[in-house]
Amino acid sequence: MVFEDIVFAPILLPLLGAALVITAKAFLQGRPMKILEYIGAFVGLGLPWLSFALTLPAVTSGRVFQGVIGNWHASVGITYQFDGLAWLVNVLTYSVCSAAWLYSLGSGPRGPAFTSVFLILTASLSATIMTSDIFNLFVCLEVVGISSYILVASTDKPGASLASFTYLMISASAMVFFLLGVYGLYRVTGSLSYQGIAQGLKALPDGGGMTAVISLALIISSTVIRVAVMPFSGWLPDAHALAPHAVSAVLSGVLIKVPLFALSRILLIMPVGAQAGQLLGWAGALTALIGVILALSQADAKRLLAYHSVSQIGYVVCAWGIALYVGITTSKGAALMTAAFLHAFYHALFKGLLFLSVGTTVDRAGERNVYRLRGAAAILRSCGERIPVTLLTYLAGALAISAVPPFNGFISKNAISYALEGTPLYYLLFAAGIGTVASFIKLSRIYWPDRSRKEIPVPAVPVPLTSKISQGGLALLCLGGGILASRIHSLVMLLLSGTRAEYLIQWYSAGALLKTGAVIALGTGVYLLTTTGIIARVLKVIREQPGDFRGLYISFSIGTALLAGWMLLHL
Amino acid sequence: MKQKAINVLTIISLASVTLVLLPLFLENSPWPLSARNYLELHGVGDSGAINLVSAIYLGFRVFDTLGETIVLLTAVSGTIGVLTRAGAVLAEGYDTSGTPALTEQEKKVIMDDHTFTLAGEKRRSHALRTHLLEVVTGVLGPVVLLFGFYLMLYGHLSPGGGFQGGVVTASGIIFLALGNRIGAKNPLIRASVLDRIEAAAFLLLILASLSGILMGRGFFGNPLQDVTAIPAGYIILLNGIIGLKVGAGIGFLCIAMVGREIS
Amino acid sequence: MIERILLLGMFLIGFWGIVSRKNLIKKIFGLNIINNSVVILFVLEGSRAGSSAPIMEQGISNIVDPVPQALMLTAIVIGVCISALALALAFRLYKATGTYNIQEIKRKVHNGF
Repeated sequence: MVFEDIVFAPILLPLLGAALVITAKAFLQGRPMKILEYIGAFVGLGLPWLSFALTLPAVTSGRVFQGVIGNWHASVGITYQFDGLAWLVNVLTYSVCSAAWLYSLGSGPRGPAFTSVFLILTASLSATIMTSDIFNLFVCLEVVGISSYILVASTDKPGASLASFTYLMISASAMVFFLLGVYGLYRVTGSLSYQGIAQGLKALPDGGGMTAVISLALIISSTVIRVAVMPFSGWLPDAHALAPHAVSAVLSGVLIKVPLFALSRILLIMPVGAQAGQLLGWAGALTALIGVILALSQADAKRLLAYHSVSQIGYVVCAWGIALYVGITTSKGAALMTAAFLHAFYHALFKGLLFLSVGTTVDRAGERNVYRLRGAAAILRSCGERIPVTLLTYLAGALAISAVPPFNGFISKNAISYALEGTPLYYLLFAAGIGTVASFIKLSRIYWPDRSRKEIPVPAVPVPLTSKISQGGLALLCLGGGILASRIHSLVMLLLSGTRAEYLIQWYSAGALLKTGAVIALGTGVYLLTTTGIIARVLKVIREQPGDFRGLYISFSIGTALLAGWMLLHL
Repeated sequence: MKQKAINVLTIISLASVTLVLLPLFLENSPWPLSARNYLELHGVGDSGAINLVSAIYLGFRVFDTLGETIVLLTAVSGTIGVLTRAGAVLAEGYDTSGTPALTEQEKKVIMDDHTFTLAGEKRRSHALRTHLLEVVTGVLGPVVLLFGFYLMLYGHLSPGGGFQGGVVTASGIIFLALGNRIGAKNPLIRASVLDRIEAAAFLLLILASLSGILMGRGFFGNPLQDVTAIPAGYIILLNGIIGLKVGAGIGFLCIAMVGREIS
Repeated sequence: MIERILLLGMFLIGFWGIVSRKNLIKKIFGLNIINNSVVILFVLEGSRAGSSAPIMEQGISNIVDPVPQALMLTAIVIGVCISALALALAFRLYKATGTYNIQEIKRKVHNGF
């Protein structure tokens, strides 16, 4: 045993857990099977935390674990890299996945088949962020993909099957483009590791020329389709809204962020990566605003949350892209990258929480339409929640996403705002913040007391204890992220850029609080506007725009062409 | 009108794909030789396998192969799960709450005497089964299985390997199932047996990848380096495990897909 | 040159199939076609590096590049798995709605499933 091997724990332990669960399913039945399944889940989701604790001192001191898997020669073997970024993304993955699995125990989908696929998904997410080999990234993204298609379809609704099919088709086709990108890069450089490709391109007289740039553009756009930045986001709302609640939490919380940070490993060292980052940053800011407008127009509670995922990932991509553009070693770039990760992490926590708590609520109420559902608080009470855990945790999530102190969303959104102050992007994100407040006022109305209807239409199903625990845990993390803001922020900055924060942000300054107050006031105003006749009708028109399968491909191909053209311009 | 607009958009998207891909497909620079030259000189010495493709996918890049087998495992499990929900197959361990419950008799037919192995006249669709087919596949089945195992175990020396051998094994299993007469019970064509083989092979594969760590040789390090004199020992072991897993997985998938004929 | 242009043509046919055919099964065909065209391209181009198969028996030299072959082996298996899952999903949608036409399915799923 060598200490360095511990970095593989987040990949191997869930796989071992999955193998145990599959073995249990094949050989055992009844109670022993359940016990072995839980042991497998604990091995896969619990033990890796130990490895994070053990590797933290090393990564904070700036150590990077890297090498070739199996100690083969680096020209053919698969290189890996476990650094601060990988550590942070792993923590993000495991916090949401653990909570979501716990939630699934009470509310489904249950069973060893689900648990094994879930564990494989967790392992592949870890592998995605750790690899520094382009073909291995392809394989990891395929494993992430196939397990997520299955998880989306793991419910009885045919709508979920359609969503899963659409998601499968668009992302599998995108992976073919990715493979073409791998072909192009291998064709000009003869290597597959990120470092090898970057060095190979430098050694070429024209830097790889058109082929290299187009290959990079293909790789970027087919990875970004998983991240769901507009115009690549058309598949997301259906898949995230129709999946089981626990799966929605993981999809929205984790799955759309890990490929983004894995991509930053490539873009940081490739030519024209910075310019690609700039374009993506702008796309992200526009996504944040358009996503929130679409969210505001939705009637289905989970679909509204799904559009918020699009909008919030826009914030992350905006900060991330501009960080790549200005260079991650500059102090502004480091601040932006830190803000991007913080928002990704905090969004994972509060969006996971929102999906779980809203999921609990709509299940109990038997109604998902936010215009029709009222009095959900009373319904939850009648389902035996004497302490309104679900309501309180929903409130924590909603306040966090609306950037209300002292919750974590306030911190990460402000971190992005500070770093972008003075650019046009700042105003786009400011406008998106107003829309977020407005749409969460709209969503929160499902809990408002209902005077017209007294009796509860559906049989009261008690909220399982595991659901309460996982929602409560996530809510506490949301609160903790807000209270321990400075410490977490400086830790993330240290891990991402190797520098201690040079400037300490006064998180709860009068200015920031005043701005929050203004956003809330404006958001309330916007919400009141949307209830008026004309705007409500406009929103209805937006809502009833049919999503077209063909449109996904058209926007993918045109978006890819634009990205490639943009990168060729800056060659 | 709307249809026209959509067609124009389709053409635009095809045109942009062409524009982007044309330079990539026409790239004419000489193929880079660094990896090939390294492998030609050191590939056999490093891995012990004469077949360099095997040396790459079970040696240099074995982690990719692990991912690939996981994709296969997940796909089998997910496909069975989806089909179970559609009421097409019956599999244990999946949430079947949405499908209509089977009657006891149906269950008996499916679990005891797999409908795939029913004689032609007992099946709903007769088209696929003739006596000729039954006789020929029944005789060929064991031969195909043997060939599959040959491919698995000699993959490091000649064209072949775990995946290829596994797929051939799976077709052998399907042959056996097709050639099976009424009453004949071959355990290899029972979905539950194949499921078990696949699960056990996956567990073995994970343990084989972990064993290097336990012996201090790193993740996917060769644990057999000092144990056996055959340099390709680890590759043969992995080929065998992967072959079993792929054969059982694909065989399971095919048998489960054709299995349920009762509606 | 000509074979690469043909492969691009094959890719475009597959892409057109995915985009404009309404039948789910045909869309899956399209996915397979684009996947295969990339696989063939990669292996074909990799074989230009040499002349003999990469099996290092006595006296073999000037081999083709074995890396693309090993990579494409992985890509093929992944492609098969994705097709299997896609076909299963298509079958499930067919069972639920009675059609393979994606617009019909969308309409039926919207109205009350």
